[in-house]
Amino acid sequence: MTKTMVIQLRTGSMMSMDSNVAVKLAKAALEKGYNVRLFGYGEAVTVIKEGQDPRRFPNVGKELKELVEQKGLVVVVCETCCVARGIHRGEEIKGTKVGSLTNDFSKFVSEGDRMVTIAR
Amino acid sequence: MTSILFLMLKSPHENVNLELVDELGKDTKKAALLLEDAVYYAVDKKQGKHLADHVDEVFVMADDLAARGFKGKASGRFKEIDYPEAVEIIMERYDRTITI
Repeated sequence: MTKTMVIQLRTGSMMSMDSNVAVKLAKAALEKGYNVRLFGYGEAVTVIKEGQDPRRFPNVGKELKELVEQKGLVVVVCETCCVARGIHRGEEIKGTKVGSLTNDFSKFVSEGDRMVTIAR
Repeated sequence: MTSILFLMLKSPHENVNLELVDELGKDTKKAALLLEDAVYYAVDKKQGKHLADHVDEVFVMADDLAARGFKGKASGRFKEIDYPEAVEIIMERYDRTITI
């Protein structure tokens, strides 16, 4: 049975290199044949915002979109954290999901084989 | 024996409590994986020795070391790795990961 890596990301897409580490780790795991679930909490909900266009940073949104579409990455972020930041359903990158700790993250944790927390 | 991989992201000059490694890793095989500014442990002799005294092995993300101008400069007890190797270590070689 294919093992699953769960990545809990808690820092935003422009705050540091944390989100880039999460993307690189997810990509490497997917390419090695593992399932990967990424849950964004707190500032990390910004990673699923459609239309990110950073001029001087790697485009985490674009990279996530490619991994979702081409490699089967599952990305869910906390709805309460989105609402707090004015990010609404429909603004997320296609294929990602605005979900919840109780319904989604708890399932990821219970079904995952390893969990990696990337946070400050 | 269980095993724990400690993920470290912060510079040794930030507030990093290595006593946690001892407390959480009692009677376990322990390793550290250094990412982002934590790679400075690998090139700072004093801080590096301090960290290496708390764990059995230390892995350093080569990309992050190179990004900071220290490509290939990790000291002896620190093993430079890439992302596929990091995945292997996380998924197959250690039972759990804890970020400190």
